[in-house]
Amino acid sequence: MRRRFDTATVIVAVPFLAFVGLFLFVPTIGLAIKAFTPGGSFGFSAMQRALEGTYRTAFINSLALAATSAILGGVIGLLLALSLRSLRRPKWLRSTTDSWSAVAAQLGGIPLAFAFIAAIGTQGIITKLLNQIGFDITDSGFSLSEFWGLVVVYLYFQIPLMFLVMMPAVGGLKNTWSEAASIMGASSGRYWRSVALPLLVPSFLGGLLLLFVNSFAAYATAYVLNPGAQLVPLQIRFLLQGNVITGEQDLAYAIVLWTISLLLASLLLIAILQRRTAKWASA
Amino acid sequence: MSGIRKEFGSTVALSDFTLEIESGELVCLLGPSGCGKTTALRILAGFEKADSGTVTVGGEDITFVPTPKRQFGMVFQEYSLFPNMTGRENVEFALKLRKAGSAERKDTIDRLLEVTGLTQHADKYPHQMSGGQRQRVALARALASNPRVLLLDEPLSALDAKVRDSLREEIRRVQREIGVTTLFVTHDQHEALAIADRVGVMSHGRLEQIDPPRALYEQPDSAFVAGFVGTVNRIPAQADGDRWRVLNRSVPGTPTVPGATLAAIRPEQIAVDVDAAGDDTVREVVFLGPLTRLTVDHGGTTLIADLLTSEFGGAATGDRVRVRLRDDVDEIVLIEG
Amino acid sequence: MGVGMKVLRAIFLILLGLYFFVPLLAMARFAFQSVPVVLLTPEKLLEGWSISGLLEVFGNPEFQRATLISLQLMVLAIVLTLVLLLPLAALVEIRAPQLRTLMTAITLLPWVVPPVALVVGVAATFRNTVPWFLASPYSLVPFYVLWALPFSYRALDAGLRSIGARTLYEAARVMGASTFTIIVRVIIPNMIGAIIAASVLTAALVLGEFAFAALLLKETLPTFMAEFQRSEPRAGMALALAVMLLTALIIWIGVRALRKRGMDLQAAGV
Repeated sequence: MRRRFDTATVIVAVPFLAFVGLFLFVPTIGLAIKAFTPGGSFGFSAMQRALEGTYRTAFINSLALAATSAILGGVIGLLLALSLRSLRRPKWLRSTTDSWSAVAAQLGGIPLAFAFIAAIGTQGIITKLLNQIGFDITDSGFSLSEFWGLVVVYLYFQIPLMFLVMMPAVGGLKNTWSEAASIMGASSGRYWRSVALPLLVPSFLGGLLLLFVNSFAAYATAYVLNPGAQLVPLQIRFLLQGNVITGEQDLAYAIVLWTISLLLASLLLIAILQRRTAKWASA
Repeated sequence: MSGIRKEFGSTVALSDFTLEIESGELVCLLGPSGCGKTTALRILAGFEKADSGTVTVGGEDITFVPTPKRQFGMVFQEYSLFPNMTGRENVEFALKLRKAGSAERKDTIDRLLEVTGLTQHADKYPHQMSGGQRQRVALARALASNPRVLLLDEPLSALDAKVRDSLREEIRRVQREIGVTTLFVTHDQHEALAIADRVGVMSHGRLEQIDPPRALYEQPDSAFVAGFVGTVNRIPAQADGDRWRVLNRSVPGTPTVPGATLAAIRPEQIAVDVDAAGDDTVREVVFLGPLTRLTVDHGGTTLIADLLTSEFGGAATGDRVRVRLRDDVDEIVLIEG
Repeated sequence: MGVGMKVLRAIFLILLGLYFFVPLLAMARFAFQSVPVVLLTPEKLLEGWSISGLLEVFGNPEFQRATLISLQLMVLAIVLTLVLLLPLAALVEIRAPQLRTLMTAITLLPWVVPPVALVVGVAATFRNTVPWFLASPYSLVPFYVLWALPFSYRALDAGLRSIGARTLYEAARVMGASTFTIIVRVIIPNMIGAIIAASVLTAALVLGEFAFAALLLKETLPTFMAEFQRSEPRAGMALALAVMLLTALIIWIGVRALRKRGMDLQAAGV
């Protein structure tokens, strides 16, 4: 069967596709080829080494960081959306949170890291304040450059991002559903379990993916807080800047290819999960 | 329900509202939006708490019983089906909540799906169904748990005219078949008159009158009811002994308020004769199928007359006619002074 | 909702509020009060506040250069985004809706190849073949457009749908207008809100992107900030706060523009 394409659409689609091809596909494919041809001939050695030793640790750390901050951010973001849904009274709170979330979700990077250093870094004002009342953050083992420190900082953009993703779904829960459930004899717990939560799951999964990718790829914040951290993005930097013996670029290509594959796999996984949990929404 | 009072802020939604529904009866609450009919239903359902008064079902005081424990069924205006469940699952959910066994569940579902004519569409998700199918599922779901009272909150108002009529008949049939005590809230008088055993007309948080449809139509207790239910001509009447003179005739009449002299005359109680020497003028002729509606200028006031098309003499706009009260009208109601 | 739940909710909201607000306050104090934390006592709370550090940064020629570059990148990225996407999104919506799924998939891809990954690929391919391309800081523009795609395309797409672009198209078509006229005179003026949203999201990305620029050794506002803070901690902090507020302001303008048209600034519509 031949498909007829609209001429005008083709005319504007071609530059766009060329653009994506040139700046996204060409570098990605070039990189993939190099990852599989370490030292100029075909082989899996680079791909294999990219999952060994410190690089393996880096992948595990990055995965753990991304998953932890995605799940925590996801749950808190969802709770925030739910608490605001039933909140009537301070009217400004709802619209302020909406606007603020749109802003904060984009506030990753360098400035955010600085803000947390000023607050709970070793010289931070909150650190000092807590010290005054007898609580020593550093003694408790907390540090902005360690795992939980990064999680706390990442949550700053993860929570608002999840809030933005969940708000339409949470706002779409109709009051009649809970009333219908209640008149049928369902407790409010039963309503949430059988109706409301299943309806929120697809959006929540989508949000989790967004948060996961967001924190797996986050570079600037981690770079400021701990440039030497064993995280994939920072390891890529080391390799790229030639801080290792020459010929290690192949390793960088392999690590990046694994990263891309991992993110692609999570995208597909979420897409499948979404389809399964949202069969009621598809035609 | 008796002596119910409900205020939202400074607005009184219901004041001294009392309604009694017989077992197995279908009562309609009819009124313009904001008259309190929905509030009354929501208090009965337990969604709202009354400021004062009591709600009793079968002798049991349920004023403070939470909604899930009232054992009611309800059909909402629209969008009340759970979108994550198929039609069958929606019905089954109600049964699971009543802790029915799986064999019983299957029997009840099959029976209800058949009663509501849904067997073929039961496994669709709500968004794949038409509005009429959704409301059928909602009805089946409401009946599934064998409710003590069935509540219907404008269940037909989101549907288009044809589906509305057929579903209305169906609700009536199913309700009779199952014999469930039912409260139906609507703003549509045709719906109320067609379906109810008794219709309660509400205005400003009060029940103005509750009577069987025909009594409500023929003997309205007040000007509001006369005006709200059906179309009415207000024609000045002169006292004539213990009778009242309206148009060309003198008939017995009942004043709804002391000193009332305006007769409430229905359009179908007026006859129009084509007469070149008549004092009245036809302003408009609208063909409505079995009926033809004439708007006639009668000495400065505008009257509406509905004539059987088969009996209509065929006047056109501008024609001279004579308006009279039909011979078969043997009693009238007088409203307002 | 029970009283217990209400209290829990209030505590939850207050704690979140503190979490979001306190770091900004701490940042402002560090940036504008010249009293080191160790010497800070309640009596000294009001001492030593000044914005001279920030003003000094503004005079720094390196800062001016970096800012100028970032602003240029921002404008160019917005222009390129709109030129590439606006007609395409409009035509896909009104003339070729069967391509929508494909467009959604393509515009999601940049997510999978984040800056820190793509930079390696770019170095691997472009450095050998077209070295002159990467020499210019403007070479960042196409990549920034690329990463903004998941957000900018969705914003435009949502805008097209919310104005009922296809109905508008058909209505104008019946009156005899050409497709070009319809897009320029009918569709685009009606979706200013979505265009602002797409631009705002692109702008925020450009003002915040660090990895790609840093690894290609380009001096933009974020890379300058990271360097500068090492030598001038206080002024660097002030600058970061200023950039944060500027970003916030830009996004807030976008949110306002959208809300006026009854829409919301949504994250990528996954």
